[in-house]
Amino acid sequence: MTTRAGDAPLSGPPVIIRYSFQGKYAGFASRFAAFAVDVGISLCVYLLALAVISFAARVLTGKDITWNKGDIWVIIAYAVWVFIYFAHSWAASGRTAGMALFGVRVVRDDGTDASGRRAVVRTLALPLSFLFLGLGFVGILLGNRRRALHDVIAGTAVIYSWDARAARLRFLSRG
Amino acid sequence: MAEVRPVPRSEAWAQAVAERAVELVVSALDVNALLDQVDLNAVLDQVDIERVLDRIDLDRLLGRMDLNDLVKHIDVNALVEQTDLGAIIARSSSGVASDVLDVFRSQTVGLDEFIGRWIARLRRRPYTGPPGPPDRLQSRAGR
Repeated sequence: MTTRAGDAPLSGPPVIIRYSFQGKYAGFASRFAAFAVDVGISLCVYLLALAVISFAARVLTGKDITWNKGDIWVIIAYAVWVFIYFAHSWAASGRTAGMALFGVRVVRDDGTDASGRRAVVRTLALPLSFLFLGLGFVGILLGNRRRALHDVIAGTAVIYSWDARAARLRFLSRG
Repeated sequence: MAEVRPVPRSEAWAQAVAERAVELVVSALDVNALLDQVDLNAVLDQVDIERVLDRIDLDRLLGRMDLNDLVKHIDVNALVEQTDLGAIIARSSSGVASDVLDVFRSQTVGLDEFIGRWIARLRRRPYTGPPGPPDRLQSRAGR
């Protein structure tokens, strides 16, 4: 006997999903996890870049450079880097590293690939979703298309690109 | 000294005719067609493998074989060289990585579903799985 996803009980999540959710609107947990990973990656890369610059400056000039985290230029440089990281990733492939890890992808609201312009608008609108205690993200939980405020502004949506059913078949074939 | 009996002419002639006839029949026979008509499965069904195996004394058979001598003949180095161990390890590693990734993703998708069901319950609406897909994506998938 088969059951539909909607009939499943409220118990814990299954290890391997029985259904392919590919193409369906991604939920809050997947999106949040992907975003957290992206923030971690972008921060690590940025700190690494600062360390490399410090080391290079010390080797070339013999002077130590210390980065003050409160320095406005350090913050501006980080903001620029984060903008490039997200905008370029969404424009190029519709996904950042974190999104690729969790199998989700940004598309236009009609399902076609997100353009560079939309990627840039989405990145610029992203901070707006954090305003008022993250009120902009409520749309992911309550909306019919699970769109956050920055999705609505940019005309984008986030879908599952990972095929759960294929994963299950792979898992069973290796059995 | 053994006495050689002369073969009668009629007997020699009959033997020559028989040999020629057999030769003609064999050359005219289509062995493949004949084999096609043989139902090998039916033949094998009639063979009692258990009985055949019972009659084989494996201990005695193995006792007569010098396994050490046999192993000495195997060129293990050549065998290892011919085996692409790197590819095997890579395939195995990528399989493990893929499994871990699938588990990660299925856990978060499961959490998405859990949250979705709770939200639907709070809103007193039936939950029928994640919404979507978007229109154009659906039409592309349907092609």
